Amino acid sequence: MIGPNKQIRAARYGMTIDVDRCTGCGACMVACAVENNVPPAHAGATDRNGITWIRVYKIDNGLPYPETRSAFIPVMCQHCGNETPCVHVCPQQAVDVDPATGVVGEMPQRCLGCRYCMAACPYHARYFNWWDPAWPKGMEKTLNPDVTPRMRGVVEKCNFCHGRWHAAKQQAAAEGKPDTEPVQYLPACAEACPIKAIQFGDLNDPAGAPARAAQSGGSFRLLEKLHTDPKIYYRSKRDWVRASANAPHPFAGQHEAGKENHRG
Amino acid sequence: MRRIPSPGSTKPERRTTVDRQLIPRGVKRCSTGKFLLWILPWAALLAFGLYSAGLCLVKGLNQTNMDNRFAFGLWIFLDLTVIALGAGAFFTGFLLYILKLKELRAVINSAVVIGLVCYTGAVCVLAVDVGQPLRAWFTFWYPNVHSMLTEVTFCISCYLTVLAIEYVPIVLKNRKLRQVPSFLVFEFELHKLVYVLAGVGTFLSFFHQGSLGGLYGVLRGRPFAFREGFAVWPSTFFLFILSAAAVGPSFILLTTWLVEKISRKNLVRPEVFGLLGRISGLLLAVYVLAKTVDTLIWINRTSPEIGFPAAQYYSWQPFGTWILFAEIVLFGLVPALILLAPQLRARTGWLVAAAAMACAGVALNRFVMTVQTLALPTLSFDRYLSYFPSWQETGTFLAVVAFGVLVYSFSFRYFQLFPSERELKFGAAAVRER
Amino acid sequence: MLPWNYGFHLDAGHIVFLGAFYTVLVIVATTLVSAALRSRQDLRSRKLERIRWHSEFNDLPARDRACRHVLTGELESRECPHSFDCRECETHARLVEGHPVAAGEEEEIFGMSFPLDRLYHRGHTWVRPESDGTVTVGLDDLGSRLLGTPGQVALPPVGSQIEVNGTAFRVHKHGADVRVLSPVEGEVLEAGAPGAGWYLRVRPAASGEPAFRHLLRGAEVRPWLMRELERLQLTLTAEGAAPALADGGVPIADMSQAYPQADWDAVCGEMFLEG
Repeated sequence: MIGPNKQIRAARYGMTIDVDRCTGCGACMVACAVENNVPPAHAGATDRNGITWIRVYKIDNGLPYPETRSAFIPVMCQHCGNETPCVHVCPQQAVDVDPATGVVGEMPQRCLGCRYCMAACPYHARYFNWWDPAWPKGMEKTLNPDVTPRMRGVVEKCNFCHGRWHAAKQQAAAEGKPDTEPVQYLPACAEACPIKAIQFGDLNDPAGAPARAAQSGGSFRLLEKLHTDPKIYYRSKRDWVRASANAPHPFAGQHEAGKENHRG
Repeated sequence: MRRIPSPGSTKPERRTTVDRQLIPRGVKRCSTGKFLLWILPWAALLAFGLYSAGLCLVKGLNQTNMDNRFAFGLWIFLDLTVIALGAGAFFTGFLLYILKLKELRAVINSAVVIGLVCYTGAVCVLAVDVGQPLRAWFTFWYPNVHSMLTEVTFCISCYLTVLAIEYVPIVLKNRKLRQVPSFLVFEFELHKLVYVLAGVGTFLSFFHQGSLGGLYGVLRGRPFAFREGFAVWPSTFFLFILSAAAVGPSFILLTTWLVEKISRKNLVRPEVFGLLGRISGLLLAVYVLAKTVDTLIWINRTSPEIGFPAAQYYSWQPFGTWILFAEIVLFGLVPALILLAPQLRARTGWLVAAAAMACAGVALNRFVMTVQTLALPTLSFDRYLSYFPSWQETGTFLAVVAFGVLVYSFSFRYFQLFPSERELKFGAAAVRER
Repeated sequence: MLPWNYGFHLDAGHIVFLGAFYTVLVIVATTLVSAALRSRQDLRSRKLERIRWHSEFNDLPARDRACRHVLTGELESRECPHSFDCRECETHARLVEGHPVAAGEEEEIFGMSFPLDRLYHRGHTWVRPESDGTVTVGLDDLGSRLLGTPGQVALPPVGSQIEVNGTAFRVHKHGADVRVLSPVEGEVLEAGAPGAGWYLRVRPAASGEPAFRHLLRGAEVRPWLMRELERLQLTLTAEGAAPALADGGVPIADMSQAYPQADWDAVCGEMFLEG
């Protein structure tokens, strides 16, 4: 975190996810878990208490066959920029928004595990370590040395691959670039997506791909009506997909479809 | 002192056990054996509860049925309830020492013990509930003053200290402990300053009861809980204060009545019951009114303005609109009216039933704020979830109940919880004489 | 919390919040410390006995705290604000100035012996001035009958100081352990025994009428005793003794023998004003 006194050109990292391209393959989820040292699910873990920083929801338009259409919406921390709901509820400042990057950070070392932030998050994008992290013998060799594993009893969530951002900063410093400038890097999910549905970059850079995509037609954000200014933009040409983002619950005929949502 | 055995005495002195010596003079308590028999099941329950809590602490919170969506569960719901019920301690202290409602001296000691039990229990459960209990001091070291939970943590830990200090004179007043000169003098001097503690306790309780409500009211990401408010406080802040103050006297009434039934004694005058009921009824009526206005504003403005028509919250079973009706009318308005009607209040059955209903209403409110808030999805394509506590969660909470009963039982046996008990015994004797 | 913590900053919220928190802490700590300091001060200045009595007096039911002028019927109702120490009471001074207490007419009241040569304390002791300027202290007839032949008596050592409404001595009897309130202030010169008819010979700290103003005398004794007998009867009923003390009946010499089933400790505690 750069000190507030330093004159920096702040970045506002964000994503655009093209829902129409997403096939729901789940590569982003796997890449995310590997990159961020998320341990394999403990025996007995379910989709309700497992850890998935990014989670692909399956939605459909609620119409009967043959008009049924479905889509996949990957949901991770939306890095809310306006009165971030989880930040001001944390009793011990374990959650903060980095003014240099706009990334909502979680400090697991300071987390008490009260889970108030989880109750506060409208996207349910925060995950609690219900178990001690454990890797099968030999698998610890696959751990990412740039990311600290988290202990039992703390909350964690997507941080736009903070380890990768850090590595990019270090490389920029090694190349002699000023550290007041934003760096370019790619989170694991964006990198892993086989059809490049996830575009990542600085939303403050008007020429950047995500910024342009966010401005273009068919772009929407989840629960924009809550005015939390999320930094994840979604795109779809289909009206019903766009409507689902802010529909008052339940969306269309989601009663039945909701039950089959595969989460993780 | 020089001890001289009297020359005339030949009969051996009657021997008394330690247990007997600790019992206040002039009040009747059951035999040691009977007391142990009463204690035993509660001690067993406490042991089971401690085992459950131990499992959660050692193996982790995977022992519970909470999950990433139900981040709060049985524990938070019951903590909020127990803290609301324990509000009787601060509110009675406030009425007695600040507003000088002398009649309440008859229940203040009992109220302090109940408050202490409730708060200690709640704090202990919270210590199991958080993922990293050893980091509890972080909240004091790195406080985020904008978090309602910070205020709750600060106020509850301060207030628990105050309650413990208020409990000290009750303990030191014990017949045996009073014989120690420094205890006697300290009790006397501390009791002279008790109004300071009552004032501080009122201040702290006011804020943490409120902040517990604010906890949910500020959740702008959860439209079911989010409320508009005044300055930094959402309306739930004020509603929680009001409801806690309303239900505190009711809970004291209820527990006193229970203790009277279990111990088969008259402990306080009927007028005191009536007074507690009246205070409770009055505040409950104000609360129900405020809650109704708040609910109407929320249904018609707050919620729809952020794109969530309130009707959808009640479209998920089992939490239909009946729960709103039960909370506000059945367990709010009805007991308030009963408690405000002098003819009904005069009958013990009605009075106690109304007090129990008032307590149930506040418990239901805390349940709705905790469980229903978390059960409802915000994303249109997300699921509505249900949750049922595991036996470890239930056991941990039962430990609090057992702990409360034990502390109260011992306090009732050895300390003077009801100062008018002896007088009432005399009153009964006078009636017998006639 | 503290300026050197990471993330510490001071804005209005912090000042209000932490200010309130520290204020509360300071108030609570000050309360505790001042209570502790005052206690130490009290113990050093030998206020223990006074505090013990104040504390017990405050716990007495309202009717037991009635002013002596209520007992005699001069006042309608009045709770004693001075813990039965009329020496500092202006109301009492004014009342006795207007209407001095009449001399008593009888030495035997309700079949009990209350000689007129002495003054009585509401804790059932008497003070008898002796010719050498000292006073003797003993249990009055009702007190003696309550305790009968005491099992054990703990008397203060010769040379020690006793004070008004402090502990004069302790008596153990039939499961009862009672402290007997001292009617005078002064130095203990000699300890007697139950058989001797008196318990302590005391050199009073002050002489003259004002020093003994708190004691009952003459015509005051009878209404007080009537009240005490009523109280005793009520106590006996409450403590599980059969109501054998019919109106006008005389308490027998050792009452504890007559009510073996009664909680004698509670009866004596009530009658000797010990909570």
